[in-house]
Formats: sequence, structure tokens, C-alpha cells
Amino acid sequence: MADEEFTDINGNWISLDCQTHSSFCREFTVTSPKLSLRKVMVYTCCVWLFAYAVFFFTQNTAVLSSAIILTLVGMVIHIHFVKVDHETLLIIGSLGVQLSSSYASGRESTTFIEMSKLKDIVINEAVYMHNIIYYLCILIKDPADPETVTSVVPLFQSSKPRLNCLIQVYKSCQEILAQSR
Amino acid sequence: MGHRRRGHTHAPKTPTCLNAHSSNTVQHADHEQSVKHSICMVSDFFYPNMGGVESHIYQLSQCLIEKGHKVVIATHAYGDRRGIRYLTNGLKVYYLPLQVMYNQSTSTTCFHSLPLLRCIFVRECITIVHAHSSFSAMAHDALFHAKTMGLNTVFTDHSLFGFADLSSVLTNKLLTVSLCDTNHIVCVSYTSKENTVLRATLDPEIVSVIPNAVDPTDFTPDPCRRDNSKITIVVISRLVYRKGIDLLSGIIPELCGRHPDLCFLIGGEGPKRIILEEVREKYQLHDRVRLLGALDHKDVRDVLVQGHIFLNTSLTEAFCMAIVEGASCGLQVVSTRVGGIPEVLPNELVTLCGPSVCSLCDGLETVIKKIRSGNVESPAAIHRKVRTLYTWRNVAERTEKVYNRVCREPVLPLSARLHRLRSHCGAVAGSIFSFVAVINFLFLLFLQWLRPDSLIDVAVDASGPHSRLKQQVSHKTSKTANPNDLT
Repeated sequence: MADEEFTDINGNWISLDCQTHSSFCREFTVTSPKLSLRKVMVYTCCVWLFAYAVFFFTQNTAVLSSAIILTLVGMVIHIHFVKVDHETLLIIGSLGVQLSSSYASGRESTTFIEMSKLKDIVINEAVYMHNIIYYLCILIKDPADPETVTSVVPLFQSSKPRLNCLIQVYKSCQEILAQSR
Repeated sequence: MGHRRRGHTHAPKTPTCLNAHSSNTVQHADHEQSVKHSICMVSDFFYPNMGGVESHIYQLSQCLIEKGHKVVIATHAYGDRRGIRYLTNGLKVYYLPLQVMYNQSTSTTCFHSLPLLRCIFVRECITIVHAHSSFSAMAHDALFHAKTMGLNTVFTDHSLFGFADLSSVLTNKLLTVSLCDTNHIVCVSYTSKENTVLRATLDPEIVSVIPNAVDPTDFTPDPCRRDNSKITIVVISRLVYRKGIDLLSGIIPELCGRHPDLCFLIGGEGPKRIILEEVREKYQLHDRVRLLGALDHKDVRDVLVQGHIFLNTSLTEAFCMAIVEGASCGLQVVSTRVGGIPEVLPNELVTLCGPSVCSLCDGLETVIKKIRSGNVESPAAIHRKVRTLYTWRNVAERTEKVYNRVCREPVLPLSARLHRLRSHCGAVAGSIFSFVAVINFLFLLFLQWLRPDSLIDVAVDASGPHSRLKQQVSHKTSKTANPNDLT
């Protein structure tokens, strides 16, 4: 299936790629905008200008050195731990759900939730900063006590798609869950 | 007294909304019944906190939902209860992460709550903001923001307040500022209306009286639970000065000395509990005065039905729900004649006394004599009378009329609002709050630029004419999840 264009909660364009591998297996990939070179330059300039202003008054060259190091370390941390390029939800009817996040540095983190622990996939609402947003989440149950929800795992935490995108993923997930039950 | 003037003004452009049902303008009175409103109830006081205001908001909301309106509630977070919760019949409650300052009321800066409240008003397509309680900072904030956003506003005052002390002067000035451009005000009794009109220098024309109510099914009599070998006086209230606990501490030894078969059953918690414990200790009344401590709302009826007399010793009260609950359980009611209490029950159902130990003892003596002589109505007969007096459906019907009136009124644009504030609230307060209103308006413009209304997802309705809940219930054919439930 071709990529569909949506926006995140801040109005930035994101794309949703839905791949149907079989009637029991689907993969959803939400791709966020790439790291903006302009933004990087702006942040770097701001830090360096501030450092230069401090240096102007203190005449201490260590300030400039630490500003350069701080910028580089900050950038590495940002692309390795913060900036997510795309998030993937792979749902396999009989097996479970795999969540993957691919960072700007190429690092990947993967979580697997087996079907016996999965109670349901729902769209929930939350107060986020000064906004109220919809988010997709997996309800985890205790296999010993199937009625209680032990924890909630939010999906697409980095890209934060809007409701129209979430509904599309939700419907597809429910189709697979309905078949596997 | 500077009554507010009703100038003919043009309503500003209200936030556009994606739902068709948001445009609730009424052309003719004939169509009033078909108009469905999107109402946001705002107050610092709501469940899990328990009290008159909380009960009022919940019950009124349920009846309005029953009548086809969409209702959401905004309050502050209570401990772990934060975020969005759903109560019976799809009543949606926003527990917002706002800092509590004092007595369950949030701290206010007039601005910090705007982003969240704006988000709620836009995503829920709110047409009327209904704030409750003059002690709630969040309610005043919501009124202020709603007027900035061009929404119609209603305010319900649940309490009486003084005029003389410093806290009264400051609170009354805040109330004047809050209500000077509010579309309509609701009070719970005529005494409360008089008090509010004087405190906030309002035009009495825009103040309605809609009393509280009780759910008669929650408070039914059960004479079998009474111990008829003795006479039991029940007191259920917060043990604070305003509820007249000092009077109660004088009544207990006086009456227990006169009647050896008299006992007191006292439910509630508060700082004045120690006075009652001292009285019990001093006069050795441990077997005759039982202090039950804090009661859950569900347990109140079980305590009431054990008594013969319900005693209320309040020093000030806008509308006393407790005496209606007591009468509904078939008890003889004895109460102080203060505030709006004389309006609440007919004379044959209540014995009114002055707010003094002597007067209350005389009133209780009269009722005790009646009980001993068997010259009292049966609990079932009393319940039948009370059941029809105050119903939440009636309250909702009257509130709906207020909403229909309000939605036909224009919302003041900023210029007219500033003029109203300056002319109505005095030179100093008027100028200060005019400045605050301008800053609030600029902050709103900034928020609309930062996150336009078009970026706020319109919420899926859980109540009202477009309720997803109703559709799911009516279309539910199997227990399996329907992937097309959310469209």
C-alpha cells in the first residue's frame, strides 16, 4: 500500500505506510520528518553566540571550548536517543505485537508483546503538556487474571499522529485481533 | 447600587468547529425544545470529593445528558485521578493537572489554565460554559477564558457570603469582576439570590433561582431500622464552625439531662470534632453520643434511617440539602432559621428555630413531645411529600430554559467588555482587570497562532445528540469489537 500523508499533533507532516503481509500479519510504519539542518544551525548559532557573549565579559577561553563540546555532545545525544525517524508496529495475529523505533543515528530499539499478554488495542485520550491528545495504546493483561489491565503501552510516542491516522491503524489492528480471538 | 447595563452588542466570532451540532443559535422560541447544547461544567469541586456542589454538578449533568445535551466536566486532578475519565452515561470528566492551593481550590494566575481550557472548549465544541461555586478559582478562570473566546457563560452560586470582613470584601470584588459580563447567574435559593445580587452588584433580572434536589430513590425510609425504645437524634454534617457545632455541643448535655432515653448519632468529620468529644467526656455520655466520623455518601441513608429526628444547626446556609435528605428518609426535621433554609421545606415538615442553644432545645422538646404522643406523620407519608418537592429532572428542565435564553444573547466583544469592567467594577479593580482581559486576549491569539484550532482534534462525543455511546449501544449485536466503531 502506498504511503499516506497525515499530520502530527503539531501540524508537521508525517507519513503512514501500511503493509499487509497476510490476513494475519500487518505492518504500520509512521515516518517523521528528517532532522532539519536549518534547526541544527539555529540551535548551534544560539549556543555559540551565548558562549561568545559570556566569553566577552569573562575573557575565559574555556567557555568557548565547552560551548563547542556541549553542542557536539548535545547533537550526538539528540540523534542517538531523541530523534526518531520512523516507528513501526508489526501485528501478527497468532503471535503478538512488535514495536520498533528507528533513531536518526541508525540505532533501533525493539519491544515484543506476546498475544497472551495483549488485552486490547485502544485509542485513549491524555493531557499532554498544555494539550489534550488522542493516542493509540496496547492494554496489557495479567495472564493469570485476564480481566485486569496491568499496564498500558503507548504506540507512536515520538511521532504523535492525529486522530485520523490513529483510527486507520486502530481499525486494521482490530480486524486482526477479531480474527485471532 | 450600580446595576449592570445590557447594551446591544455584536457577538465576536466564536471558535469554528468541525461538528455540525455546535451552531446552536435559536431563531424562535418554538424551536427551544429541539436545541441541543454542548455544555462544559467547570468547578474545583467534583468527585471523588463529596459535598453539595459535587452532587449538584453530577446529578444535573446526568439529567441534561438524559435530555439529549452534551455535557463535559472540567475539574482539577485529585491525587492519582488525573487525565480524562468517563462516568455513567458517557459523562466525560477532565481532571486537569492544576496546582491545588487551599481547601481543594486551585491557585489562580488567570492565565496558566487558558491553554488547557481552550483545548477542552475547542475539541468538545462547547457552546455554553457553566461554572459552579464562588469559592472555586477554576470556575472564575473558566468564565474569564470563555468570555475571551466568545462563548456564552452561566454561573451557579451555591453559597452565602458576608460583606464586612477582609476576605469577604476581596471575594466579593472578584465575584463582581467575574459576573459583570456573565450572561446568566443561577442561585439555589431566594436568600442566596439576594446575597449574590448585593455582593456582585448585579441586575436581578439576570439572576434565576433554581433549587437543589435529592434523588428520592437514594433516601427512602426504613422504620424497622429504628430502635423505638429510645429517641435518636441524627446529625450529619462537616464538623466545622459554620455548621453550628458549637451550638450542638451546648444542646447535647442540656437534652441528655432532661431525657434519659435520648441519644445522638453524629456523622461527619472536621476540626470541631474535639469539642463534641470533650462534651461526651465531661458529661459521661459515651453510651448516648456516637461519633461515626467521616461517612461515604452511600452510607448516609443507612445512618439517617436509624433516627427519629434530624437536627441541622447551621449558622449560614444557601440551600440545605441535608434537611431534604433527612425528611426524605422520614425523619422529623429541626433546623436553624438561617439563610435559605426557610424556603426549603414546608412548615409541616420542619421545625425552625433561632440559631441559639435555647431556641433549638425548645424546638427539639416540641418534636420529642409529638413523637412520644404519636402525633407525627409516618416516615412513608413524609417521604411521599418530599419526593415530589425537589427532583433533578425539574432542576435540569429549569436549567435548560436558562441555557436556551443564554444562547440567544450576544457575547460582548473585547471593547464592550473592557468598558463594562471599568464602569461596573470601580476605577482601580476595573482598570486592573481590563488590563488582565487584554493580556488574556493577546495570550489567546498567541495560542491560536502557536496551535491553531484546526490542529486540535474534535473529540468523539460520549454524550449529546451525536453520542458515539448511544450508537454503540443501539447497534451492538455481538460482543466482538467492531473495527468501525470509531469513524
